[in-house]
Amino acid sequence: MIRVQDLGVRLGDRDILKEINVEIEDAKWTCLVGPNGAGKTTFLKALLGSLAYSGSITDGSVEVFKNHGRNVAFVPQQPQIPIGMRVAEYVMLGRSKRDGWGNESKKSRNMVAEVLKLTGLFGMQNQFVSHLSGGETQRALIARALVQEPTLILLDEPTSALDLHHQIAVLNNIELLKERGVTIISTMHDITLAAMYAEKLIVMKEGRVLLNGTSDFVIHSEELKTAFENRINVFTLESGRPVIVAKKDLIN
Amino acid sequence: MKQENSLSPIWNWRITGLSFGLLFFVSILAVSFGPVSLDFSKILRTLFALPGGLTGQERTLLIDLRLPRVLLGALVGAALATSGAVYQTVFRNPLADPYLLGVAAGAGLGATIALTSSGANLYSLLPIFSFCGAIFAVLTSFFISGKFFAEPNSLLLSGIAVGSFATAVQTYLQQRHSSSLRPVYSWILGELTVANWQVVSRSSIYIMIALVILITVSKQLDGLMLTDEEAYSLGINPNRLRIIAVIAATLATATAVSASGLIGFVGIVVPHLVRGITRRVTNRSLLTIALVGASFLVLADLGARTLLSPAELPIGVITAFVGAPFFLVVLRKKRLVAK
Repeated sequence: MIRVQDLGVRLGDRDILKEINVEIEDAKWTCLVGPNGAGKTTFLKALLGSLAYSGSITDGSVEVFKNHGRNVAFVPQQPQIPIGMRVAEYVMLGRSKRDGWGNESKKSRNMVAEVLKLTGLFGMQNQFVSHLSGGETQRALIARALVQEPTLILLDEPTSALDLHHQIAVLNNIELLKERGVTIISTMHDITLAAMYAEKLIVMKEGRVLLNGTSDFVIHSEELKTAFENRINVFTLESGRPVIVAKKDLIN
Repeated sequence: MKQENSLSPIWNWRITGLSFGLLFFVSILAVSFGPVSLDFSKILRTLFALPGGLTGQERTLLIDLRLPRVLLGALVGAALATSGAVYQTVFRNPLADPYLLGVAAGAGLGATIALTSSGANLYSLLPIFSFCGAIFAVLTSFFISGKFFAEPNSLLLSGIAVGSFATAVQTYLQQRHSSSLRPVYSWILGELTVANWQVVSRSSIYIMIALVILITVSKQLDGLMLTDEEAYSLGINPNRLRIIAVIAATLATATAVSASGLIGFVGIVVPHLVRGITRRVTNRSLLTIALVGASFLVLADLGARTLLSPAELPIGVITAFVGAPFFLVVLRKKRLVAK
């Protein structure tokens, strides 16, 4: 269980996050939704432990800030692409914490090969990461997070660069992690997809949490509409799946 | 399935072994050649204290003149190449080099202050002066560029400005103290003629400390090619790692500059050469870069001693002659990649 109590993050003279109190369940998928600038990415960085914050975030019983004992994978929305690095090497970086930096075990090499196949990148292992398409880069990032064998995976817009087919392929791969007891926390602009995969949704706006609950509950809530200035419509398909679309008429 | 194992290792350590061999070979070559040629097998016998080695004047020539010079060249080459490679990774800029960051010019200024200060004999404090100058230059570059590591380009630009300023002050000092013009001038052009065991032992302490630190942290440096959050999630403290790496690289550069003057382009040629030939950017190559840098400078010094024999060319002329065109090739390639 990750317990967030009275979390605040200040950058310069701006409060990016304030008064956040939520509990995030283990081995579940929790998705942060909300408009741009709501503080979703900052929240992920705070959960990673790399960002100074006020209040407290405990993972299990330990405070997460600068706690290197945890094994948390982080998939950024805009990665820094190392010039001249090859795909296999890039994915192998995910094993660094397990093998010790500068070492690579045979087990790791086999695992990287496995995960490259799983993410459809096998055969490209010797290409430069900088030559990959947006979607391939995203899959390489996911592959690196998978070989890290984390207890918690943080994903910032994991599907933003992917076509419809690869969105599902990547999200299915991430979902498999739950079976291994991995906690998943992601941000996602596509609320329809978020509702499809995440058990829990946290609605954020202007640095605060408006609502936190099961996907089904949140999707049909007023708070979700409020977060997006009432510019969304929620429809339900025959299968019972909710679909969230923007209202065109209200957008000036 | 055979495909399972078709991932090749990130770094082939046999290359590192080969570069040890290269340095050994080049060093033997360098101590052998000169106005008086020494016999290979006799050199080896002398070095390994076997019977049948060199005697008399030849032995003195080897032990007291050529050997310290080759060793100093190797140390300086290793220091410059390694710190160049480290700066390139830390500042995420393939053109970063001890010279572009103002480090070398700062070290040069510090050393010139030591050489030109009348009265007190500060010559023995030269490494400390140049280290202070180098650290001062790096810090000034950092603060001018505003953000510590966020903007690699502004850091390089401020490094160039700081470097020019330090060079200007240095030239002023040098012209004012015309009595010491000659040693300062020959030192600026870079030369290893000053090599004796005292210089070697003094420099080797600092350079070896710096190299051991750099090669130890080099394993983690690959993580700095990612965003700070990614590096953090892989168990690295990015800012601490950067500070350790920059201080150690600056110590190595400053010591190299104080021992041998301003020898340009080693820090850019050698890392790119090693990464280009092996087609690997991983910092596991850092030991290899150190060894190839050592070999490169030993060879350049051999050229400096023998090309216009009996006159000597400044070694900085040789490295710039090879390095400057190489630098342009890298620049052009980088532009092509950017497209």
